[in-house]
Amino acid sequence: MENSNQKTSNVMLAGSVVVAGLIIAGAVLFTNGGGGSNQIAQAPSDNQPQQPQPAGSTDAVNPVTDKDHIKGNPDAAVKIVEYSDFECPFCQRFHGTMNKVMDEYGDNGDVAWVFRQFPLEQLHPVKAVAEAVASECAAELGGNDGFWQFTDRMFELTETNNRTNIDVVIPQIAKEIGLDEVAFDECLNSGRYDDHIAADIQNAIDTGGRGTPWSVVIGPDGTTYPLNGAQPYAAVKQLIDLALENK
Amino acid sequence: MLKEILKIFKDVRYVGLASLITFIIFSIAVLIPNVRLLIQIIPDLGISLGSKLNLIISLFGSIQTNFTILSASYTIAIAILFGINVVLFLHYIRSQRTGVSKINGAAGIGGLVSGIFGIGCAACGTFILTWVLGFIGAASLISFLPLGGEEFGILGVVLLILSIRMITRKIIKPQTCSV
Repeated sequence: MENSNQKTSNVMLAGSVVVAGLIIAGAVLFTNGGGGSNQIAQAPSDNQPQQPQPAGSTDAVNPVTDKDHIKGNPDAAVKIVEYSDFECPFCQRFHGTMNKVMDEYGDNGDVAWVFRQFPLEQLHPVKAVAEAVASECAAELGGNDGFWQFTDRMFELTETNNRTNIDVVIPQIAKEIGLDEVAFDECLNSGRYDDHIAADIQNAIDTGGRGTPWSVVIGPDGTTYPLNGAQPYAAVKQLIDLALENK
Repeated sequence: MLKEILKIFKDVRYVGLASLITFIIFSIAVLIPNVRLLIQIIPDLGISLGSKLNLIISLFGSIQTNFTILSASYTIAIAILFGINVVLFLHYIRSQRTGVSKINGAAGIGGLVSGIFGIGCAACGTFILTWVLGFIGAASLISFLPLGGEEFGILGVVLLILSIRMITRKIIKPQTCSV
């Protein structure tokens, strides 16, 4: 009887390790490797596929063009393509980190920061997409500077986790940065950026993004590196330096 | 309970084992979001060993930036408690007493599993809970949880403490024939 109980103990111990290992391995496999899962993010239009998608590759990142929102030298050796959500508190943190990165690497033209939309509709319904649309409208009316002014201010004012009063904050920012209010309202209601945002979301998913902030670092030789979450400045700096080694 | 645990941990080997397990669990929790990056970087012969090590070490800083204060706290707590839990299991088995009950084992496993579910930025869909819920098509359920999924981490800590308490009681309890 005693031996039997001891065997049970051993099985329990081994079992706990195996269960933990299986969960971790499963999560790694399905969130980052092969396999498929329903996506947490959905596009604001019906164009977004709802079926399970295979995990993506960072090589699927859409090429950076002059249609992108770029801070820094567009021809920089290293490009950091960030997929972001204005209602995500970790995107808010990472925005500060990226601004610090640009302070160090932007002036000498080594790094360009490319901002793409990845509003998580299921977690931050209505507001995240509305803010993404507003930032696109800011770009339309205020150019690249208008976009970054809007984005910086939005991340200052967002209460995150779908708590932002967008009816107050979005018009406030538009006014602060000097956008034409009538044209801005018309743009917000036009729906003309829905497909653009849906395309950004799809590209985030295609590159392996399963949450925000999600970034793809593109090195001088075209090598791509995934960077998941609001990583600290030191980690982003290490990755940039590592990518620059291939300059 | 604490007195008994401290007595067991006077054995340096147990301290070492618990520290190792704690470090492994903590590393997994912090590094798992960037496992793809690590898999790409580590075997790359074109990258110096120093650069690789610096990157890995710097990623540990995400405990401050990629976690809420609450999730960072219970992630660290789960790692430590799981290390203690395993050592107590081992000590109990080695002391040649009767085996621990299924309830003890279930609490220990449940604690780790629940803790793993609660790890990280569930609100942003980065980690395991959102994957699991997404897999069953219920990711939006997270938005209905008051703490955005962090409840699982807290539950993990509670279950691990419960497991440790039960094992310790078993260790303390003298082996006698009951009347």
